[in-house]
Amino acid sequence: MNANASTAAAEGLASCHVCCKLAPTTEHNCPRCGAALHLRSSNSLQRTLALLITASILYIPANLYPIMITEALGVAEFSTILGGVVLLVKLGSIPVAAVIFIASVMVPLSKLVAMFYLVWSVDRRHLGGHRQRTKMYLAAEFIGKWSMVDVFVVAILVALVHLGGLLVISPGIAAYSFAGVVLVTMVAAECFDPRLMWDRLDNNNDSSEA
Amino acid sequence: MSELIACHGCDLLVDVGDLENGSRASCPRCGHFLTRFQRDAMSRVLAYAIAAIILLALACSFSFLSFSSSGLESIMTLRAAPGSLWRYGMPELAIMVAAFIIYIPALLLLLLVSISIPLLFGLRAPWLRFATRSVFTLQNWAMVEVFIIGVIVSLVKIAAMATVVLGISFWAYAAFSVCFTLALVTLDRYQCWEMIEALETAQ
Repeated sequence: MNANASTAAAEGLASCHVCCKLAPTTEHNCPRCGAALHLRSSNSLQRTLALLITASILYIPANLYPIMITEALGVAEFSTILGGVVLLVKLGSIPVAAVIFIASVMVPLSKLVAMFYLVWSVDRRHLGGHRQRTKMYLAAEFIGKWSMVDVFVVAILVALVHLGGLLVISPGIAAYSFAGVVLVTMVAAECFDPRLMWDRLDNNNDSSEA
Repeated sequence: MSELIACHGCDLLVDVGDLENGSRASCPRCGHFLTRFQRDAMSRVLAYAIAAIILLALACSFSFLSFSSSGLESIMTLRAAPGSLWRYGMPELAIMVAAFIIYIPALLLLLLVSISIPLLFGLRAPWLRFATRSVFTLQNWAMVEVFIIGVIVSLVKIAAMATVVLGISFWAYAAFSVCFTLALVTLDRYQCWEMIEALETAQ
């Protein structure tokens, strides 16, 4: 495995996002798999930013409204995401409380912050750490779907717990908003193109050498 | 032989032509994983995919969890689970959950079988490109392993209220999640397309 000092873009080549084939940037479709060929994801930053803002707005009702309603002997109890974590801590199941807290609170929040930072940092050439920022992007992309845990928990409990008037669990409206947050941030991560920040680095080197 | 590949993380051109069996290549500049070469990858993909299909069929056939308190009992099956969300007026959420845990994984497995058989036996199949593109588009949207964690969390949440029993389907689904993940991980994007190209250009 040898690294050439050059990037595909500098050689006039575009890498197909579906099959990795290198083709001249003048082509419109990949000669191997037929997918539309783009040098970089089109409108990457605008689309990522728009989706991140959508996700941030959805995150508010996801935390304010109840995600699950437990009805025991006719008495309804509404629980929010954070309320569920507190309840688990009170029950003494700290590991599970930690799983829910990490998956439902820390992952979406840190993913939103990380993605906002990445979009903001693309045009900031003086910021170093391109390698770290690429790793950060890959981590944000990887952890995204793990936030669905809470939605699945609601789906399972709702399906399982319906014992007539004794004990019934029904889903709350926050399940919708929360699933929305997860989906929208996943699409946002797919829209972001980490090569954009490396492009700035390459341009910078060219201009300093010239 | 020299084969160039552009890193998807930073666009650096890297030569991955002379990988040994079982070795992997990463980008020297940003560290992004590039490709992994395994001589028997396709037979592994086919084996894992068939095992996963059988296990998923089992997981859909028996009781997944059962829950009982004061003489009342309710049983949850995997296929009926998303239906409850529908009955509470959340059809979109029900469709999403069903797609993420059953239907997208099932579709992915069928696609994997339809790719690995022609590649393994050197048969030209008209659906090869379409099926391979679909696999790489859909693979982010299967949430099998996330669902397993969801089941475990649910168990702890309601264990205090009543008796919960794990059914045969749960164990089948857990084994399915292992085979499913292995099948997808074994299918390497770059190597798979190289094989398709070699097959289609061969006389």
